[in-house]
Formats: sequence, structure tokens, C-alpha cells
Amino acid sequence: MNSPATTLAAAMLLATGLFNHAGAEEFKFDASEFEKKIVEFSGYVEQKEEGLKLRSNTPAYTLAYPGAADRDWLLRSTSTLDASAKLNLDPLVADLRVQASYATDPLVNLTSNPKIMEGGVRWSAAPGLSFDAGKRVQRWGKGYAWTTVGYVERAKDSSDPTAAREGFEMASTEWTKSLSGPISTIGFTGLVVPTNDSMNADFGQTRHLNPAAKLYLLAMDTDIDFMWRGKGAKPQSYGVDFSRNISTALEVHGEWSRTLDAPRNTVSASGVVSSQTTDYTSWLLGVRYLTQGEVTWIGEYYRNGNGYSASELGDYYQFLDTALAPNASSTLANKARTVAQSGYGKPNPGRDYLYVKASASEPFGWLYGAASLAAMTNLNDGSWQVTPEVSYTGFNNIELRARVIVLGGQSNTEFGEKVSSSRLELTAKIFF
Amino acid sequence: MKITKLLAFAAFCLPMLASALDGVEILKKVDRNLEPESYESYRKLINIEPDGTKKEFVIYSVKKGKDQVATLFLSPTSDKGRSTLRQGDNMWLYIPSVGKPMRITSLQSITGGVFNNADIMRLDYAVEYDVKAIEEKGDLYLLDLKAKTGEVAYDNLKMKVDKKLLLPTEIEAYASSGMLMKTLRFKDVKDFGGGIKRPATIETDSPLYKDFKSVMLYSGLKKKDFADEVFTQGFMARMEELRK
Repeated sequence: MNSPATTLAAAMLLATGLFNHAGAEEFKFDASEFEKKIVEFSGYVEQKEEGLKLRSNTPAYTLAYPGAADRDWLLRSTSTLDASAKLNLDPLVADLRVQASYATDPLVNLTSNPKIMEGGVRWSAAPGLSFDAGKRVQRWGKGYAWTTVGYVERAKDSSDPTAAREGFEMASTEWTKSLSGPISTIGFTGLVVPTNDSMNADFGQTRHLNPAAKLYLLAMDTDIDFMWRGKGAKPQSYGVDFSRNISTALEVHGEWSRTLDAPRNTVSASGVVSSQTTDYTSWLLGVRYLTQGEVTWIGEYYRNGNGYSASELGDYYQFLDTALAPNASSTLANKARTVAQSGYGKPNPGRDYLYVKASASEPFGWLYGAASLAAMTNLNDGSWQVTPEVSYTGFNNIELRARVIVLGGQSNTEFGEKVSSSRLELTAKIFF
Repeated sequence: MKITKLLAFAAFCLPMLASALDGVEILKKVDRNLEPESYESYRKLINIEPDGTKKEFVIYSVKKGKDQVATLFLSPTSDKGRSTLRQGDNMWLYIPSVGKPMRITSLQSITGGVFNNADIMRLDYAVEYDVKAIEEKGDLYLLDLKAKTGEVAYDNLKMKVDKKLLLPTEIEAYASSGMLMKTLRFKDVKDFGGGIKRPATIETDSPLYKDFKSVMLYSGLKKKDFADEVFTQGFMARMEELRK
């Protein structure tokens, strides 16, 4: 007959055994569950809620919301669906990524019909040789917030540098060779981005092939790219970039670019528009440093060779003030809208910028959380933008992000004249 | 007289030299027993929070030679398609939506949790560490390893090696300040076929992540050779092509 102690011991042994068994089951892993599929579907839905503190007395407000009454706040809601499909037919891969969105606020409703963001066919002739045709994103350069050598891509948003962007229709080939010696890798990318009034119209509307090429070297532990874009719908450009880890915690990078015969439009405070062609040089220099406290610092200085000085930007804003005043003629207002679409309308039209970002992964032991503070300033007019942000990826296949963008500066300065003085963004992204 | 002193000095140093040679040999055997020099494998990384909440990542890894490693994230969906590349001390991360490789450092962690990039893209121990000392304790060799350069993620490793299997059972990783950064425990020795018999589970915890634990599970580990061009930035977006 079993004593209570023996029964208890047996029960404990059984429980321990069960627990251990559960533990063993818990850590079971069979790679066959992750076999490659011929057809794959994936994507995400994103919901973004924004609150904007508006500057309704600025020309930017009139440009963004023509005819709208003055208001201080705007709440905007944007829903986005991004869906991808991939067909793996080794050595051919066909893929497609489509995006559609709907944005609504009290002033504007915007429906973006499904748009192909990327898609095409790639043939991998060998690990070091591939050919590609379709709508593709080519991101060149080593800069974090900006790039001076993004010759065949859409403009980067320095407020959200890692955001996905739409590609251009192109045909490309990529060749890579590993070597022994101080140059351990050499790679060549050659591509054409054909333009006419129906293809890549936002790259250029004139009929051109727009060739571009990149030579990549990994030389003495340094990434080096030499890039070139031929004259076509856009002016000829050539440049170089580099990136290198100086230590386990410090990376340095830089870019230099020269553009020939580039158009440059300026407008005086009275509205006289001058056009000229010019050769210009842009460059940037940056560092990325991981502190012992696991805070990553990114610092970047950006020289925009074709950018506008503080006085040129000041003249432009003064002109907009006059041209978009309630009593201004419609001709002048239309002229203001045309000028705003030119170089002045670029995300960062100034000449010299500084960007500093401090970000911490899992701050204060907050697993899967991240916090950052980014600051950017136009060094010529002293205006600035500060962006604190927190994000969380702890729930499977869900990303949550909250950030505030605060802009400041005197009147007639870049960030002092933006349409909002602050913006709160709450974003939830669910992957499937 | 000088010759006598020289001989005496040599006699004094000989055991140390022999010991160092043994240690290096043992470390090299540990490396080969853990993985072939060139291989592919599947790994599941599980981060376990103090309340038991788990987050899992599945990655496909390939390695060639002494210092070339590449990985591809297969799960979760939010991370699928991300790839990493290591060439010696150089590391890059490719995120499909970002569209270009970015340099990363060994001490950062692309998965969060206790495993950092150097753990996920680990090179052979003998490539990164010198054997500073070796001693025997029961069924174990105790290896004291010192990083060869300042680029290595951990300055010092204290490795316990099973004498019979020549496989590690536990590794303590220290920073140059002497601070314990993490402890890795090797468990569940399994036959993967092709002569590969090694621990299928690595558990780790760290005083820096109190009460957290991360686990790495191995599956599908097999010897395989790859073209050198697989370990280049241009191939990072095409890593999926390696999986059949």
C-alpha cells in the first residue's frame, strides 16, 4: 500500500516529467514546416491616424487647401492595403506588389486606386549574374536621412527615411564577383529607365532611355560605389559613396555627387522667375555610433549643391505671401502654384542641413520597444524639425508606432512655413 | 652559460606551448563538430519574457569558409525576406522595404532579446579567439579564450567542453570590462546525419536582461557548398533562391 508521501512523490515525479515533456515539446522545431513555396502571398494593412496643428495663415495652407476656411486642427485617417505575390520558378522569379489607400479628413478625401509599387521578372543566370525587368526600386547611396546619388529613385522623405517607395519601370542587369585580396567583391549594375509620356512620366516626360550604372567595390572592408546617370530626361550625374565600420560600434559614411547642366529656377519676392542651367556638387557625411548603453546615434551633414540659400527661400515665401493673398490676381496665384511645383517644392529645398537622431532599442528593458528622437535643421535659415517616436513590435506580425513631428522657425524659413507646426501620428500595421 | 639558460627557459615554456597547441586543436575540433566549414541550416530563435510570453523567428542560414555567413528570415511574416550578411568583421542588414543593405554592428540585435548579431552570424571560435589557457576538470576541458581583435563582440569567453564529444556545454561571454554579458548553454545533442552530431538547442540568458531567456533551435543542418558570390551584398535580396 502506498503511503501519502510516496503518492505525493510519485505525483511530483509525474508532474515534473510532464512539465519536462511539455518543455521539450515547447522547443520542438522541424525545418520541413518552412519549405519553399512556389506561390507566396503576403502584405499588410495599415491604419494611420494623424492630428495636425495647422498654420492656416501660411501660403502652404492656401496651396494645400485652396479656398478652405482657416482652421487650427485637422484630423486625418488613412487606411492602406499593401499586397504582394511571388511566383518562384527557379531560376525565374516573378513578383508583384500593389498598394491602395483611402485618406479622409474634414477638408479632403483622397482615394488612391490600386497602384503597382513594384513588380516584374528576374532571371538568375548564376549567383553572380541576374537580369531583371519591371517596376523596381533602386536605392543608391549610403546616407540615412538624405541621398545625393539617388539617380534612379523617387525623392527620399527625410522625416521617414526608411519608408517604402514606389519604383520606376526599368530593365537592369547585375553582375558580382568575389575576389581575394584587398578588393574582396566587385559588382556592376547597369540599367535603363525608359521615359515617354506614358512610361515613367514622373521621372521625365521626354523620350529617353536614361541609362545608369553603378560599380560596387568592397575594398579593405569599405563599401565603395561609383555611380553614373546619363543625360536624358534628367541631367547627367556622377558620384561616389562609401561606408565603413571603424569599430564594432562606429560606422562612417559619405556621398559626393556632381550634376551637369541642371536646371535651376529662382523667383524674386516680386515674382520674377529666372531660369538657368548650372553644374553643381552635393555631398553628405555621416556617422552611426552605438554607445555602451545601446543608444544608436546617427549624425549627418548634407550639402545640397542645387539648394536655395536662406535669402532665396525667403524671397520665395514672400512671393507666395503676395501671390496667394485673398486679393491677388488668379494669374499670380497660378504662377505661385507653378513655382511651388518646381525645385522649391522638394522635401528639403535648402542648401545646408544637419540631422541628428538618437534611438534606443528596448530602452529600460522594454523588449521589442524602441524610442528615438530625431532633429533636423536647415543651417541656413535656422528653422528646425524635431521628431520623438516610439514603436513596438512585441505582438506577432503587428507593428505599432507613435510619433510627433514638431516644426519651428521664423516666418519665411523652410520649417517655419510648412503647413503644420506639429503633427501627431499613430500607426498600426498588421502583416499577413 | 647562455645556452644553459636558454634551454632552461625553453624547458619552462614547452609545457605552456604544448598546452596552447592542445587548446587550439581542441577549439578547432569543437568548431568542426558544431558545424561543417560550409553548411546550410534552419534555426528557430525564441525570446521568452519573464511572464512566459514568447516571440519566435525562423531563419535560414548559410556559411562558407572561415568568415562568410548569410541569413534569411522566414518567419514571422513582418520580418520575412530580411537578410543579413557577414564577411569577416563586416555585417549588413537588408530589409526589402528599405531596398538597400545597411551596415550593422555585431553588438546590435536584429531580433531583439538576448541573442545579438554576432550570435546569429557566428564565425568559428578559432577564427575569432586565441586560447589563453586550458585546464581539465572532470569530464570537461575549461578553455579561456581571448578575442583576437577589438572587432570581436565578446572580449573573453570561458568555454566548458565535453571531453568525450568535444562539444561545448556552456560558454560565458565577457566584455573587455570583465562584465558577464551572457551565458550560453548547449543542450540536446542530436544526430543531424552526414556525420554531424551536435547540440540542437542553445539556451542563453544575460544579467543585462534579467529573467529573460532566448533559445536557438537547430534543424536541417547539413554540409553544403556555395558560390562565393552568395556572400555579397548584391545577393542579399535573392537569398530565397538558395532554398530548394
